[in-house]
Amino acid sequence: MWATNAKIVGIVLGTLALYTLIANKIPQVQSEVPQALTLGANVTPEQLVAAGEKVYTGIGGCTTCHGLGERAPNLLTDEKGQGPIGARCGKREPGKSCKQYLYESLDNPTAFVVSGYQPIMPVMTKQLTPAQVWAVIAFLEEQGGTVDVTASDIPATSPTSQTSPGGGGAGGGAAFAGGSRDPKAIVQAAGCLACHKLDGQGQVIAPDLTHVGSRRDAESIRKKILDPASSVTKGYEKLAGIMPKSFGTMMNAAQLEALVEYLAAHK
Amino acid sequence: MTDSALLLLQAAADSTRAYGEFPVIGARAYVWITAEVHLMFAAFVLGVPMFAVVTEAIGIFGGDERYDRLSKEFTRLLLVAYSATAIWGAMLVFGLSTLYPRFWAYLTTIFAPSMWLYAALFFIESFTLYLYYYGWDRWKKGKAKLGHWTLGILLNVWGTIVMFIANSWLTYMMSPPRDITPTTDPTTIKLWHAIANATWMPINVHRVIANVVFGGAIVGAYASYRFLAARTDEERAHYDWMGYVGNFIAMSALIVLPFAGYWLGREIYQYDQSMGITMMGGFMSWLWVIQAFLIAVLFLTGNYYLWIGMGRIPGAERFRPYTKYLLIVLVLGAIVWGTPHTMIADSKELAAMGGSHHPFLGALGVMSAKNTAVNLMILTTFLSFLLYRRANTRPVVPWARTGTIIQGAMFAVAAAVVLFYGIRGYFVEAIVRIGFSVYQVLAVLSCIVFVTVIDILMARGAQSLGAIRWGNMPPRSQYALFILAVTFTWLMGLMGFARSGIRQYWHVWQVMQDTSQYAATPALGYASKMISLCVLIFLALVAFVFWLGGLAEKSTFVASGEAEKGARHVGH
Repeated sequence: MWATNAKIVGIVLGTLALYTLIANKIPQVQSEVPQALTLGANVTPEQLVAAGEKVYTGIGGCTTCHGLGERAPNLLTDEKGQGPIGARCGKREPGKSCKQYLYESLDNPTAFVVSGYQPIMPVMTKQLTPAQVWAVIAFLEEQGGTVDVTASDIPATSPTSQTSPGGGGAGGGAAFAGGSRDPKAIVQAAGCLACHKLDGQGQVIAPDLTHVGSRRDAESIRKKILDPASSVTKGYEKLAGIMPKSFGTMMNAAQLEALVEYLAAHK
Repeated sequence: MTDSALLLLQAAADSTRAYGEFPVIGARAYVWITAEVHLMFAAFVLGVPMFAVVTEAIGIFGGDERYDRLSKEFTRLLLVAYSATAIWGAMLVFGLSTLYPRFWAYLTTIFAPSMWLYAALFFIESFTLYLYYYGWDRWKKGKAKLGHWTLGILLNVWGTIVMFIANSWLTYMMSPPRDITPTTDPTTIKLWHAIANATWMPINVHRVIANVVFGGAIVGAYASYRFLAARTDEERAHYDWMGYVGNFIAMSALIVLPFAGYWLGREIYQYDQSMGITMMGGFMSWLWVIQAFLIAVLFLTGNYYLWIGMGRIPGAERFRPYTKYLLIVLVLGAIVWGTPHTMIADSKELAAMGGSHHPFLGALGVMSAKNTAVNLMILTTFLSFLLYRRANTRPVVPWARTGTIIQGAMFAVAAAVVLFYGIRGYFVEAIVRIGFSVYQVLAVLSCIVFVTVIDILMARGAQSLGAIRWGNMPPRSQYALFILAVTFTWLMGLMGFARSGIRQYWHVWQVMQDTSQYAATPALGYASKMISLCVLIFLALVAFVFWLGGLAEKSTFVASGEAEKGARHVGH
């Protein structure tokens, strides 16, 4: 019986060892706690790149679309023989350096949209602090190019920011869309066009909003934004729950009303 | 003093009282181990009564006393396991109250009445169990037996309510109602509002099913140990049969579990998309590859056990040649299911792959391929069960040939539907593709239901090709049951880590932040070591518990010679 017991113990330990070994052989990713990011006057390119990578894969949420290369170009891999983004960014728009182009992409993403993709990218300068934005630019430049972001590019007004390497949502509140009441800026900042189509732009994953005012009144639109589960458009039942519930806490009352009014006018 | 200064002072004061430390292993490891081992015992003591009461019912209404004895033996395993559950639960509570006092105070402020109810029900549940077990031989006949069976039902009712209550606490941590914010005074939160949170019911359903799977697997392992230790043929036969029943229950419930998991995942996405993305595409994305590997082990080992089991069934030789084809489908399905797709990859890894996805494997890593693979694996496993079930019979109904052809056609149609929608999924938009998985699942479930109905009808009066030779199994079949039990237990620990880990650095998601030194969520490597340790502790204690049970037990098994004289009884 001792031999049988030994075999049983061996099988149990062997099975546990195998699973533990496999789990330790795969890439190890730890979800860190948000840390204060201080980029002082002597910040080095390496520090910027490291901070930018954390924002890119974490709080920036960039990989959600850019990581796959389906909704948006993959920035870390070659595209049509032009190399990764650091190699191709300086050739995107005539007269614009890599740094200028990347900043424009984050600050005014609809100014230039890569052929074959929809203008769905939110305005990242409204969601991230300047330090985070410039750190991301440095990280992207480093992908096949030369990092020329320096401390002088970063405005002194916002020396610290939060960065979450492991993911998690972007913080909302007062800074949403820079406090703008321009509904187009709100639509852009909220990333509505990542799923909805509006005036010929955006995706067709969720209902087209071009004529949303003809099927919903202002009250219904407001309710839908604040509580997406309150009603589901016919034909989209399978996608119920996809729309984030956080818009009500991200934008202020004036922004919400501006957006509601804007959408309700889309008859 | 300004408001912000006051807030800072308050925060500092809170932090100083917020956390304790446990020697050597640290506070997080202490809570991790006690919570996990408690949960494993709890799952066992909730899962086993479910089929104890079902097998007792089969014994009562089917007239087969073997099931009654089996049920009693299941219940005997529960007695000491209950104590272990309570001990580990107490260790967890003491740990939480001393190592995470601020968080524990927050939870108790909201949930105190439910905790009192929990304790009361646990008390009632324990005494119901004592009555159920110790009254077994006293209330053996007629109405008294029905009353006894009712006690078993009550045992399950109390246990399920107890689990639902505990689930409300942990699901509140995951998905607190959206109107609750960091500034909400916990004394103002209504109890039912906190209990009925977004993930409460999906977790409840998922755990009920998972407990059945888990209980079946542990009972299977127990039976296999007793089989290997058996001294007589009767004993071996009994435990062979018990292991088969445990495995059958575990595998049957396992087939349903992914649907409950899908519902839970969907609710998580619905509650907070960023939490869902963290779970499926964020830092936890590799976890699903490990999960796929574990489930592949379960399918392969479960089928392997069945195929070996055919060796003890006269007439099963007819079906043996087919097992290699079943094995091929299972292996291919497992490979596709385990293919990585949406992973966080660094620039070097991306460059090595030549893109965001591997050029070949990327196509197999998408849900169209994975859904197709898993549905075909389920169909294959069902086919294994069907062949096993039919092995020692030859149907005599006049329509037997037609029935078999219809059954074959149903399998073919279900597989064709699964393949069709799997391939078509590559050519349509995501919104359409999502709906295809429903058609695939419906095709498989319909096949399982209708083929089973036909099989039952076809088995009427079937000619027997010989009795199953229970006990006539090679030892490797029993080791397979051990692998199943270890894998189920490890999988439970892994998915517990996934559920808890997606909160990341929050005690209560976006309401109460973890500001301790252990706030970061560890990588899978560290988690796997903790899981293995918990599994080892649990299995060692279960082995000890079973050994204790064996010490106290006076075997009523009789030698085979005497058994032939009329003592047909096997078991206790």
